[in-house]
Amino acid sequence: MNAAFWIISAITLVGAVLAVTLRNLVHCVLSLILFFLGLAAHYFLLRADFIAAVQILIYVGAVAVLILFTIMLTRNVTGTEGPREVLGGKWWAGAFIAAVLAVLLCWAVRGDKIAAALSAGDKAKSSVVEIGKILIADWIVPFEAMAVLLTAALIGAVVIALEEIRRRP
Amino acid sequence: MSIPLGHYLILSGILFAIGLCGALTRKNAIIVLIAIEVMFNAGILNLIAFWHYKQFAVLTAQMFAIFAISIAAAESAVGLALVIAIYRHYRSVDVEEMKSLKG
Amino acid sequence: MKRLNAQRSTLNVRRSTFNELKERMEHLQQLARQQWLIPFFPLLAAAIQSLLKREQRKVSAGLAIGALSLSCFVALRAFWGTMGGGHGGEHHEVERAIWNFTWLKYGDNGSLDMGFILDPLTAGMAAMVAFVGLMIFINATGYMAEDENFTRFFCFMSLFAAAMLGLVVANNLLLFFICWELVGLCSYLLIGFWHFKPSASAAMKKAFITTRIGDIGFFLGVLTLYWQTGTLNLYDHGRGALEQADKLAQIGGWWIFSMAGLIAVLLFFGAMGKSAQFPLHVWLPDAMEGPTPVSALIHAATMVAAGVFMVGRMFPLFTAGAVGGSTPALDFMMWIGCFTAVFSATIAVGQFDIKRVLAYSTCSQLGYMVMALGAGGLVAGQFHLLTHAFFKALLFLGAGSVIIGTHHEQDMRKMGGLRKYMPITFACYMVGMLALSGVPPFAGFFSKDEVLLVTYHRSKLAWGLATFAAFLTAFYMTRQICMVFFGKWRGGEREQEHEKEHEEKHEHEEDGHGHGDHEPHEIPWNMWMPIAVLSVFAVVLGFFATPFIGGNLFHRYVAPEEHMPEGGTGTVMVLSIAVGALGILFGYLIYGRKPMEHADEPDPLAKPLGGLFTCLNRKWYIDELYEATIIRLTMACGVLFRLIDELVIDGILHTIVWLTKVISQFFHWVGDEFFINGGFDTACESVRDSGGLLSRLQNGRVQNYFRVLSIGAAVLLVLYFLKLNP
Repeated sequence: MNAAFWIISAITLVGAVLAVTLRNLVHCVLSLILFFLGLAAHYFLLRADFIAAVQILIYVGAVAVLILFTIMLTRNVTGTEGPREVLGGKWWAGAFIAAVLAVLLCWAVRGDKIAAALSAGDKAKSSVVEIGKILIADWIVPFEAMAVLLTAALIGAVVIALEEIRRRP
Repeated sequence: MSIPLGHYLILSGILFAIGLCGALTRKNAIIVLIAIEVMFNAGILNLIAFWHYKQFAVLTAQMFAIFAISIAAAESAVGLALVIAIYRHYRSVDVEEMKSLKG
Repeated sequence: MKRLNAQRSTLNVRRSTFNELKERMEHLQQLARQQWLIPFFPLLAAAIQSLLKREQRKVSAGLAIGALSLSCFVALRAFWGTMGGGHGGEHHEVERAIWNFTWLKYGDNGSLDMGFILDPLTAGMAAMVAFVGLMIFINATGYMAEDENFTRFFCFMSLFAAAMLGLVVANNLLLFFICWELVGLCSYLLIGFWHFKPSASAAMKKAFITTRIGDIGFFLGVLTLYWQTGTLNLYDHGRGALEQADKLAQIGGWWIFSMAGLIAVLLFFGAMGKSAQFPLHVWLPDAMEGPTPVSALIHAATMVAAGVFMVGRMFPLFTAGAVGGSTPALDFMMWIGCFTAVFSATIAVGQFDIKRVLAYSTCSQLGYMVMALGAGGLVAGQFHLLTHAFFKALLFLGAGSVIIGTHHEQDMRKMGGLRKYMPITFACYMVGMLALSGVPPFAGFFSKDEVLLVTYHRSKLAWGLATFAAFLTAFYMTRQICMVFFGKWRGGEREQEHEKEHEEKHEHEEDGHGHGDHEPHEIPWNMWMPIAVLSVFAVVLGFFATPFIGGNLFHRYVAPEEHMPEGGTGTVMVLSIAVGALGILFGYLIYGRKPMEHADEPDPLAKPLGGLFTCLNRKWYIDELYEATIIRLTMACGVLFRLIDELVIDGILHTIVWLTKVISQFFHWVGDEFFINGGFDTACESVRDSGGLLSRLQNGRVQNYFRVLSIGAAVLLVLYFLKLNP
């Protein structure tokens, strides 16, 4: 199982790096999808089946597609741009900060007792039935709130994206 | 078999940092949104890792993850709608050009 | 009283005597509790009068006379109550009833008391003061009739009467001192009653300051007494200050004086001031600037007698520890008194103002009283005090009548022959003069005789000088009588010249000088009636102390424990009569046989005595001496202190002010300008600059914001980690 972890981690990392580095936007999105799939595999490793499925469904299925649509709708900025136009002004500041943060986070983990916990193995189980039960019973309020939020996001997105269209003569 | 929790945490940390790097560095607004998605997912990975190693008897972490994903989806939808709207206005998705809120 | 004297030693008689004694003491105690009323009535009257308007003259006079009559009534009742005491036999002691009360408390057990006493000395003095005062008040309604400050006059007079009576009935040194000072204050106010006259204004100040100098000694004496005995009450059932006098005599005081003697001498200083004894006598003649009723009441009968009364009241202190019948304190007093008596009598010979003569006469008689007290004769001194009060008041009121009658003329050279114009005044004045000169059977003879007798037994030298003073007394009184009442009326001369000038200058109309009738006239009834009453007393009073009627009544009344001196009575009496007669004879020879013709003639004594007469007229230049030494010294000190004030103190002040200004300038420049203003400006500029700087953060670019956010997060993380990883 260790090997699985390392391989999947490598895939995930590669996907993430490529997603933020590539020049071509569509290639970015594709590597983003790879990233999502790598994460889903991790979830499977961690025996959170439902979450893995949800990840694939929503992220790969909806979000990535959405991003592709947006790329299509804002088409004329893609193409072959040089690295100077890929990176923003003072990009090294951002890179530096990210590196610092990475170091900090890794350093935080090292030596922590909690971080030395071992895998729970088969004991960790997630059953869809169970999730369904507590979703309706204990977590009903956040569930309904989520529904409202999604409705609002839907309407909002439509309104924001739609207005310009109406203004066209 | 025995992957300590720490490895997952470091992994998610590095993923987060990669996402952050992308968000702070790239000029294109859509890439920024993509990078934000990466950061988001790194966080959820962290959550699930902790669930697996520590709190596997209770499913609270999974509920959390479900809601987080939902919200991330909604947020990316709205964000992309904004990018479209901005594109219509500025004819570009370059974040460097969107500085009319300069104070 | 005679009943009690006759009963002797059977047991039943003793017991009944004892019961009677107890009843008497209770009666006296009851009277003593009412003693406070005596000063209270005039005080109340004075308080009401101070609120009256100037026009309410009748109300003011009525209040004064009414209040004093009430006091007189109470005093006479108390006096009557104390009579019949002092039984003969071995166990004679003065009966004394006291009533003390706590006035205010301080601390835990400190307290200031007040007290009233009723004993023969007090009763007699109170009765005298009240009665003589009443007579003078009635006279004053006539004397001050034309004065516009009538109301104020009677207010002050009432206040004075209250203070004097308070002084007399006080059993407590604090109350006594308060009244003592009040009396001095009233004297000041009344001497300077016509304060718009510069001479009166100067005289009032001189009187107050001179008596104040004496009061320093008095106050020191009171303090010392309080320190030594721990109480200010004079008599307090054995705890009083005077009752501890023997104990005090054992303690050494200063120099030759025991503690009791030292206190006595200090107290006597106050008497020297108030009763005008030698060094501090200078104020009394100048005090004649006041209205004549004031002179009569204050400077003849009562206030100046307060000093003598005080000595009499504190007599146990003077006599404590007596060796051979005398103590150094008593001797000191006697010599001062003797000197004053002779000294003032000589000055009186050379005076021309009618009131001045009487003033110096008062001074001299006070010297007699003090001398008598110093010789150990409490009875003699107090008796002379009483009789002197009556006939001196009489003389002063008579002088007042003369002044009114001659339209405010006071120079004796301008009078003369008033016998014809003012017969009643003349008769009364003769009575007073004979009493003062010591002619039997008038009162002055008996009292002066007593004085000379006790002095004879103490010191022959003092007695000789006192006899000489008696001669001078008779002499100058005769001189005064001759100049004023006999001879020709000289007062018109000046006025005739004046009239001629008037006729020359302008039409002779009714001018405001009051020269309507140039001749003197008799006084109205409300002025001569009191004088007549007083003259009756001047005759009758003497008989209380004669050896003839039932023994020496006054002696037994006041101080039955005092030992009357034996022997020499006859010599003294004969000599005093002889000397009095000689004085009158000389006076008549020089002044009566050939009276002065004109006002501007020199005095017949002036040529034979020459420079000596001038000395006498100029009061032995004492005033000039004081002026040259003490007053100059004080003024020099004043100048010196003013210099110190201007140079040193003002110099320091100016330096401090200058320093403060410099410091404030410095702080203004450094602190204010540089730091505060400059700092403020710099702060504002830096705010503006930093604002400019910070506004550059807001460049509208979201990615920048994000970067900053990340930096912040990183910092927070660092902090968090630093806390967790030690």
